[in-house]
Amino acid sequence: MSGAEPSFAEALRPHLVPLFGNDIAVERLALLPGGASKEAWALDLRTPDGKRELLVRRAGGGVIHSQTLPLQSEYRVVAVAYEVGVRVPRPYGYLGEIAGRPAFVTERVAGETIGRRIVQHPELAGARAALPVQMAEELAKIHAIPAERVPFLSGGGARDVLVRLERELDALDEPHPAIELGLAWAAHNAPEHHETVVAHGDFRIGNLVVTEAGLAYVLDWEFAHLGDPAEDVAWPLVRAWRFGVDHLRLGGIGEVEPYLERYNALAGRDISARSLAYWEIVGNLKWAIGALTQSRRHLSGQQKSVELAVLGRLAAEMEFELLQLLERAG
Amino acid sequence: MQDRPHAAELAEAVREFIETEILPGIEDPRLRFRALVAANGLGILERELTIGPPLVRREVESLARLLGREGPIPDDVDGLRRWARDLNRELARRIRAGETPEGALAHLVATVADKLRIASPRYLTRYR
Repeated sequence: MSGAEPSFAEALRPHLVPLFGNDIAVERLALLPGGASKEAWALDLRTPDGKRELLVRRAGGGVIHSQTLPLQSEYRVVAVAYEVGVRVPRPYGYLGEIAGRPAFVTERVAGETIGRRIVQHPELAGARAALPVQMAEELAKIHAIPAERVPFLSGGGARDVLVRLERELDALDEPHPAIELGLAWAAHNAPEHHETVVAHGDFRIGNLVVTEAGLAYVLDWEFAHLGDPAEDVAWPLVRAWRFGVDHLRLGGIGEVEPYLERYNALAGRDISARSLAYWEIVGNLKWAIGALTQSRRHLSGQQKSVELAVLGRLAAEMEFELLQLLERAG
Repeated sequence: MQDRPHAAELAEAVREFIETEILPGIEDPRLRFRALVAANGLGILERELTIGPPLVRREVESLARLLGREGPIPDDVDGLRRWARDLNRELARRIRAGETPEGALAHLVATVADKLRIASPRYLTRYR
């Protein structure tokens, strides 16, 4: 065993016993890179049935974003998604609080999650060709999750999203007229009628495990909520999630049309290109305000991080894209 | 008056140190990424120190025109920054009240482009 604080390794074991039995041994426990608000631990566990490669996801120290699910609810969503056949790493169990912080354990999976590599690496060209249709298929499955299976989720349509965004913008206590212009446009053009589905909330390149065969797993369910399906469908179009390959509007990997067609066919919906354009603008608003909000975690001293600090300045990228989209929308 | 290096030169020296001496030796991908972000942060600081003041002046002049403010504009950078903040508040308030001034979009495109000239100049070139 290496790389772990001894207290965590010791505290973890009794939580694993109910799931894997008493005859287990922790062979490796190591904190993995990434993850600003959550910890991810690679855990190799020897069990009577053989070695299991597991991932322990554990809440971080800082206070979490207002719309983030508690870890126990996130686990519930992943478990339900798994049961209905969404490609998620196999969930083994919610572990409760370990040394004061909640955690759950899933299968540990292999594949690429780094956005820049997924949009660029030559060996993933085949994956990029397959991804648009595969992404549509997973989203259609997610949006078919019965809401009564996850009754703790909340949320609503565009107007609910805009109310929340305005509140988050006001909390920054810094004027952002470009964002105000976007919010005013979005309020004026908000769809009156919408359907509400179980939405992933952060479905994009960077939160998908990709192999040479394409989409392997959908990760990061902490923003799951009830929402307009078009909100989820448009989110991977937001320019920040194209990782530099700007001309491919779907996540820097493909065109929107085959993705939207496949989604509509599978989900039995008729989301229009116009609706996607609306939610792409809202998506840029969400991420502009999200980046500014994250920089406040550093500025307030809640979570000191050069990454979060610089994010405050990079919000101007989303503002610029927002204004370009507003110019086009007229 | 401080001796050389000037503030921007000092930021540049630290950034170059991180890029040429620290980064090549970092194995841990997490630490490597944060070191790159730190170098980028110093780049932002360099640009703000060198091209920041004329850009604030340009923003304040544009805001004053847009909002119909007349009268002299401050000469010093601190005064200009205060004006920029106050006028941006006024513009934000008007937009939210449904009283968006004529020409706001063009003003904002130019102003946010100026923010990017400091924060992320390469991002801006991707739109050309």
